[in-house]
Amino acid sequence: MNEHESFHHPGPSRTETDSPLLALDNLKTHFRTERGLVRAVDGVTLTLNRGEALGVVGESGSGKTVLSRSLMGLLPGSAVTSGSVKFAGQEILDLPMKQRRHLWGAEMSMVFQNPLNSLNPLMKIGKQIAEPLRLHLSMDKANARETAVALLKSVRIPEPERRLNQYPHELSGGMRQRVMIAMALACGPTVLFADEPTTALDVTVQAQILEVIGEQRRDRNMSVVLVTHDLGVVAGHTDQIAVMYSGKLVERAPTKTLFAEMRMPYTKSLLKSIPKLADPSHTRLATITGRPPDLVNPPKGCNFAQRCPYARPKCHVEEPALEPTADPNHVFACWYPVGSPEFTEREAELEAAGYVPATVAGVS
Amino acid sequence: MKFWVSRLVGAFALILTVSAITFGAMNILGDPLFNILGPTAGDVSNPESVAKIEAAEAQFNLDKPLPVRWALWLGDFVTGDFGVQFSATGQPPVSDLIAERLPRSLMLLVMAQTMAVIISVPWAIWSAAKANSAVDRTSTVMTFLLIGMPTFALGIILKYGLSIRFDWFPATFVANDPFWTRAWQMFLPALTLALPSAAVYQRLLRTDLITTLQEDFILTARSKGVSKRNVLFKHALRPSLFSFITIAGVTTGTLIGGALVVEQIFRIPGLGSAIVEAILREDFPVVLAIVMIVTITFVVLNVLIDILYSIIDPRVRAS
Amino acid sequence: MSDLGMTEADAVGHEDPYPERFLPHEGDQDDKAEKRKLGFAFWLCTAWLVAVIGLAIFAPYLAIKSPNVNFVQPGERPPYSPSGEHWFGTDQDARDMFSRTIYGARTSLTVGFSAIAFGLLVGGTLGLLAGYFRGKIDQIISFGFLSLLSFPALILAILITSLLERSLLTIAITIGILSVAPVGRVSRATTISFADREFVLAARSLGARHPRIIVRELLPNVLIPMGAFSLLGVAIAIVAEGSLAFLGLSVEKGPTWGKIILTASQSSRDLENAPYMAFFPIGVLFLTVLALNFAGDRLRSFFDVRELSL
Repeated sequence: MNEHESFHHPGPSRTETDSPLLALDNLKTHFRTERGLVRAVDGVTLTLNRGEALGVVGESGSGKTVLSRSLMGLLPGSAVTSGSVKFAGQEILDLPMKQRRHLWGAEMSMVFQNPLNSLNPLMKIGKQIAEPLRLHLSMDKANARETAVALLKSVRIPEPERRLNQYPHELSGGMRQRVMIAMALACGPTVLFADEPTTALDVTVQAQILEVIGEQRRDRNMSVVLVTHDLGVVAGHTDQIAVMYSGKLVERAPTKTLFAEMRMPYTKSLLKSIPKLADPSHTRLATITGRPPDLVNPPKGCNFAQRCPYARPKCHVEEPALEPTADPNHVFACWYPVGSPEFTEREAELEAAGYVPATVAGVS
Repeated sequence: MKFWVSRLVGAFALILTVSAITFGAMNILGDPLFNILGPTAGDVSNPESVAKIEAAEAQFNLDKPLPVRWALWLGDFVTGDFGVQFSATGQPPVSDLIAERLPRSLMLLVMAQTMAVIISVPWAIWSAAKANSAVDRTSTVMTFLLIGMPTFALGIILKYGLSIRFDWFPATFVANDPFWTRAWQMFLPALTLALPSAAVYQRLLRTDLITTLQEDFILTARSKGVSKRNVLFKHALRPSLFSFITIAGVTTGTLIGGALVVEQIFRIPGLGSAIVEAILREDFPVVLAIVMIVTITFVVLNVLIDILYSIIDPRVRAS
Repeated sequence: MSDLGMTEADAVGHEDPYPERFLPHEGDQDDKAEKRKLGFAFWLCTAWLVAVIGLAIFAPYLAIKSPNVNFVQPGERPPYSPSGEHWFGTDQDARDMFSRTIYGARTSLTVGFSAIAFGLLVGGTLGLLAGYFRGKIDQIISFGFLSLLSFPALILAILITSLLERSLLTIAITIGILSVAPVGRVSRATTISFADREFVLAARSLGARHPRIIVRELLPNVLIPMGAFSLLGVAIAIVAEGSLAFLGLSVEKGPTWGKIILTASQSSRDLENAPYMAFFPIGVLFLTVLALNFAGDRLRSFFDVRELSL
């Protein structure tokens, strides 16, 4: 198979240069629908270095999944993307589909949310793992099989030889997700997109899966983009966190910094919505009330203002820009961020009215 | 295992019921004696004809009660003895007639079913790959027209268009021609049967393909770098075949009905014409034999479909 | 929306640990809007059906030629091509094809509608009982349907028609018997989908008797989807009459669509020289069948009849 000769791989060889592995500049992904243009991703700027793990966090509908799919290029025909995505210094956003496809599975791969549905139910595990190997690395059957066994072993699947001849329905959810990861890693990609990889799994299995991803990242010096709604998931497994709301980046910081001094009230609300093991059962979780705004007609001002208990008139009129804090790596978009006098004042009012304030303690 | 046992028991029960209903209806509503002996059957005053009647009754077991006669007939049928034709002009065995007619009908049906599949599968894949495009919409309208088209109307249109107006295909069947010539002569009749079925299959498979293409594992396959074409053929097609197979099996019943009409239009002396003639002559053994053959084919097909399911889907195999 | 976005209604989802549920659902409104409209094509089909049925009913009172008179023109051999005098031409016996088509409609439509009426009465009732009572009754009735369905329909029809005199009534009943099983299965499935709904359970818990529940609660609900389904059935019944005609087993007296198409197409020479004889009635038959199919289809999705678990 010489399908990908036409495209020069901007893979590992190129990453020796200074350019970051992924550099997004004002990336926009809009969908044409009958109701109008849905601005699912609306101007995101980010960089990701080789070997780094980035957490993309937000509610459903915040655009985090569309963001990861846009980086891959796995979008339906109704999508329109603009801006720039550089992969190892090379612009990939305007590559023709055919060339872009040769990156999939080879340079960048993806693990999806639901391992129950993400594997072909009618195809043996072995064949599914071998598929990218045979496609991208032109391996013969025997070779691909051997590699598949090694891959399964590396994600800690017991009895890997036997698994090759099994069908997905014969494996547990956690096992299937490991298979997904093995498959995604088959051709040694430089970046792995994991879209809610643990949401559908049991709590204990969740930790194992995250562990496997982390292990592989270190072993392969691979970058990981971990997409999730759960700040708890990204806490221990990422270097950098990007918080998204209604298609926009609202806060971005190194993981430790973010948890230590988050500035955006939205980030704070997200944190409060994590169930904690220490909580007594039946504790009411403080979730964010209301719905994310309509992505066809976004409101004026700050998108989060309508749901933000700390919002003031200005928030409904003017949109805050991403501003750096003292740390240039920590940016946020908010007029009255956590810690500002207005924020503290409102918090006191809310507290007086019986509203339980957020506590950052207890995480990490 | 339990599933297969109950499946087989059900199949046998169905075959028995159908044979009982047919046997009963033919014997109650018609008079077999009359068909064997003609007017003599009613002449009870004449001792000569009474003797004939008694001989015939003994020969065909007509003196025994209906359930006994059914059981006797069934016993013969199971051993492959379909009895003799009820006719005044000698009594050739039914199996002779079946042996002459069955291959033609079988050929027609197999050709039709094959054509339907050959037409519908690529058509459905093409439509699904271009879902909601102009091409897809046009073919949806076409399937609607084809499904609404009566077999006899389509037969006449094809015969007129492709055989009379443009002499591209033969429109008549000659029993003594060599095999391949006869197969060629069956092209139009088979096409007549195939087109509406193809339209039904296309609709079904297209819908199922579009549903499958929205599954998560299709996205997984794409994210591995598999080309759209291979996603369609290697990943989407097989999981989409279930209802297609079911309907292809069920449609065989409809095709058999349609084959009767098509055999008339294109003058093919097959089982269809045989049963029409037999019914008009009230030649019960022939009717019974043909109804049984058709029913058994139908039932066997349905069991085969179940087996096919378990081959395609490992999940069915497991349960 | 209130300023702080903390309204009562918004707080409903409090116990959900995942904010997932608050996802705006795109696109499902469009689908429903589509279903709530019958559309122009539906009314076009209805207009055609009304026209054909109207002509068929009032044919004897309209200025339409008799279907059985031979309009032989001296010096010319029939069939005659379409003209101002004979819109659809004439057949081999110089009978006016236009009026034969309309009088054919009388028989064919009568057969079609009464066959399905029979199917609804017998199959619909059986399906209703099977779906309501379930258990043994359901098993027996369902097996009966299955046995009926395992005969290829036309063979069953031939069997019945050959044993009876072929009048309008017997042909209609024969085709009606064919429709019993399909109609019955749909009626059973529809009934099952309604039998567990609150209003039926409520009636039952209030002590209503079975006949009352079936007639008062279930029948009205099952009837509407069955009506839409039966339009498709009428189309099939009309085609079935045609098929029987091709086997020489249709109504003996008077023209039917099947019979006139058969007469017109029986010899290849006639078909070659006078294709209009066959194609005018085929066109009318086809349009009628299409209109019935399309209208039935629209109505079915309008009332949202699912195929359910047949």
